[in-house]
Amino acid sequence: MAPLLKVENLRIELATRAGVAPVIDNLNLELAHGESISFVGESGCGKSMTALAIMGLLPEGIGRVASGSIQFDGEELTTASPRRLRQIRGNEISMIFQEPMTSLNPVYTVGEQIAEVLRAHQGLGQKAAWAQAIELLDAVQIPNPKSRVEAYPFQMSGGQRQRVMIAIALACTPKILIADEPTTALDVTVQAQIFDLLRDLRAQTGTSIIMITHDMGAVAEMSERMIVMYAGRKAEEGPVDQVITHARHPYTSGLISCVPHIMANLTEERHDLTEVPGIVPGLSEFGQDLCLFAPRCPRASDKCLSARPPDVPFGSARSSACWHAEDL
Amino acid sequence: MSEQTVDAPVARARSPLSEAWEMFRHNHSAMLGLALLSLIVLAAILGPMLYQTDPFDMVWAPFSPPGEEGFLLGTDYLGRDLLSQILHGARVTLIIGLSAAIVTVVIGVTVGALAGFYGGIIEEMLMRFTEFFQVLPTLLFSMVIVALFGASLPMITFAIGIVSWTAVARITRSEFQRVRELEYVMASRASGATNAKLMFQVILPNALPPIIVQSALMVGSAILFEAGLSFLGLTDPNVVSWGQIIGSNRQYILEAGFTVTIPGLAIFITVLAISLVGDGLNDALNPKLRKR
Amino acid sequence: MTDLLDVHNLTVRFGVRRKGGMFARQTYLTAVDDISFTVRKGETLAIVGESGSGKTTAALAIARLVSGVTSGKVELEGRDILPLDRDDLKDMRQKVQVIFQDPYSSLNPRKRAEDIVREPLDSLTDKSDPEKREIVDQLFKAVGLRPEQKRLFPHQFSGGQRQRIGIARALSTQPEVIICDEPVSALDVAVQAQILNLLRRLQAEYGLTYLFISHDLGVVQHMCDSVAVMYMGKIVEHADRMSLFNKPLHPYTEALLSAVPSVDPRLRENARRILIPGDPPDPLNLPKGCRFASRCPVAAPECRESAPSLDAVTPSHRVACHLVEGETSPLATLSAS
Repeated sequence: MAPLLKVENLRIELATRAGVAPVIDNLNLELAHGESISFVGESGCGKSMTALAIMGLLPEGIGRVASGSIQFDGEELTTASPRRLRQIRGNEISMIFQEPMTSLNPVYTVGEQIAEVLRAHQGLGQKAAWAQAIELLDAVQIPNPKSRVEAYPFQMSGGQRQRVMIAIALACTPKILIADEPTTALDVTVQAQIFDLLRDLRAQTGTSIIMITHDMGAVAEMSERMIVMYAGRKAEEGPVDQVITHARHPYTSGLISCVPHIMANLTEERHDLTEVPGIVPGLSEFGQDLCLFAPRCPRASDKCLSARPPDVPFGSARSSACWHAEDL
Repeated sequence: MSEQTVDAPVARARSPLSEAWEMFRHNHSAMLGLALLSLIVLAAILGPMLYQTDPFDMVWAPFSPPGEEGFLLGTDYLGRDLLSQILHGARVTLIIGLSAAIVTVVIGVTVGALAGFYGGIIEEMLMRFTEFFQVLPTLLFSMVIVALFGASLPMITFAIGIVSWTAVARITRSEFQRVRELEYVMASRASGATNAKLMFQVILPNALPPIIVQSALMVGSAILFEAGLSFLGLTDPNVVSWGQIIGSNRQYILEAGFTVTIPGLAIFITVLAISLVGDGLNDALNPKLRKR
Repeated sequence: MTDLLDVHNLTVRFGVRRKGGMFARQTYLTAVDDISFTVRKGETLAIVGESGSGKTTAALAIARLVSGVTSGKVELEGRDILPLDRDDLKDMRQKVQVIFQDPYSSLNPRKRAEDIVREPLDSLTDKSDPEKREIVDQLFKAVGLRPEQKRLFPHQFSGGQRQRIGIARALSTQPEVIICDEPVSALDVAVQAQILNLLRRLQAEYGLTYLFISHDLGVVQHMCDSVAVMYMGKIVEHADRMSLFNKPLHPYTEALLSAVPSVDPRLRENARRILIPGDPPDPLNLPKGCRFASRCPVAAPECRESAPSLDAVTPSHRVACHLVEGETSPLATLSAS
């Protein structure tokens, strides 16, 4: 079956004061029907920018698709008309954000906001949309949906607001749901609830999910496949379990081992955490013909500083953009 | 161990102020405003020294149009040289504008800072006090003050200041409330800073940008206010200001329009220049715009 | 080892004004409700909890940084610090310093890095200028910053470097206790490791005592010697590191632990994921019984009637739950039956 989403050689340029920088540099990825993948990396690595490009929401006048293609269900999105993109957004691809407080409009009730989406995209009437809004609130497990539908965003907790955002995103049963750090602003117990909900909804509707996160634990819980991004490029790609047990890129292993993970059977001994020294380079350094991770990499060699490593495939599902990938 | 794996040269220290200037410098309309304003200020300072005709001397026939007999801007209803009046008036006008803005800022910042810093009952009282001044009809109230206490320059300045400080107080209070909650204020407290130090050395410098912008615009509106008062005749007849020139010539607006238009234009250009500078400051001091 | 910090029945209340202007009615929000614990010298006590649990308020109250109706005692080296003022307070502030959460808002943008680091020295000590310079130089080295960076302003540093400046500031007066208020939660994952390692190295080097506030159980597990879990202003469980993570007793602690997403596939398959439904109760209208009862999977009628007290199960393990019997958690009892 053809992939639902296919991104090929995508290059996105961002105009900065210092000049034009490639925030996304030659990115390739595929997303199958019903699949859940994660984009992982530190902030400033281009995860969110990729999502915005797929949504056709690059910051106007600042970011643009310089080359490459984004195909959704066989349709090219980079050349689609703004009108067509508006139809696709919300209807077939929708998105939820990190901060559920600021992504809801504070002057309308949550019911009005859900119904609005249904009226605009599905042409439902006032009454039908309202009834559907109540059903959606029920689907995202908000207690007493009939009365909560009249609540304003500030009357709800952070977790409930994120549920409302999910209800809005799923209102038109989209084929792809992009979740940009959906639980970063929430407490862990609420995060667990939201993950649970997303898993349930995915099983019911068959929606593909793209999750953007920096938390390897969340990736392991939510996705089958992950794409590790660094400085606008794909560092590594593969099935989550395989990548976590045997990373083929030093950045991936750094991301996994620098975080103190909860251990099943805790022992007295404690080691220093593995550090990934330094920070993600600034936009002005993107796009050079070398491995951008080399300055932070324990295995960096002369080769890493002289040419950009290509995506080396490992088997059918994995790849790594590292000159030393074979040895890892 | 350390974050620098490559020993890159250390960047030059750049204070937030120097970055703001950098931003301002690249703003064309703001720089135009600044150039205009500098020109006006220079004219106000040097003009009367270089062009020594007394603004109160009757030098020629009344209402002679600009250019006649070497009087560049013509003469007014008493035959006085308009150019000289504009140059001398510039000083007075700018001084009134500036000092009224200073009165505004002193009262406004004090009230706003106390209210914003302490909160609670102090804030309630001070804000009620502010609201009292806010609901007074400004022009009427200042007319009453000038009428009661005499139309001397300091009294006019005070009258303008006393009716327009409320905006500054409100801005200062909201900025103080915002900055007060930031962690570096608590960090200073943990470092043993006293309340006075927190207010004036920690919070105030960080609350200043919008206050500066507001005060710059305040100079412009004080000039307009003074023009309004002078137009109504509430002015010191022994000094020339632009508003006073308009006020005294207003009966002859139909016969000799230029006697009113020229000082009017002077006010217009000055206030415009101040607004441009104010807007430029607003952009330059706004950290959100500086990022990219 | 001796107890350095001894907190007895600490309670912090804030006046909350209901709408209605000048003559509004005042109600009180009890952010921290009658908590007690001790911290030994050179150790790290972590206070864990979700937002609204009162963990940060408790820590800031100990640093005398919140104004609230506060009762109880906070003894530092045997001396109650809550009633102190002026000179005594200065002395106390030298001994208790804070590392703040957000490295972007915790540094005054108008001050140079060196001035930020020496601010506590200026306000709290009588050291001479050359002495202070010397200390600042040493601190820059200790936290991994270069001396040439002293003159820079905060916005010229990255998030991790800013947090290093914050750490240097906290170290400047050679404090006994450092309160770390979520010191890494605003940082990128790779930078978190750098800062956590630095904190542990400094602790070993200077014999520091940390009160470590965090919501991240992985970080807590890595950093702490003992842990207090807070929920809605109360400590629900307090134990040494091994007991708390290997044998949690309170249902809330267990739920919290099981909610953390894990990369360890074994942990994921074995774990009984305990989903606790709903949201915490309204802090202005707390239930009279156990505050966790409304979300607790094993709540019994008695839980809604009376609030449990924090009782010792073993000398190093205290828990506040009616249903804990001996050393078995109520959830384990439930799944066994």
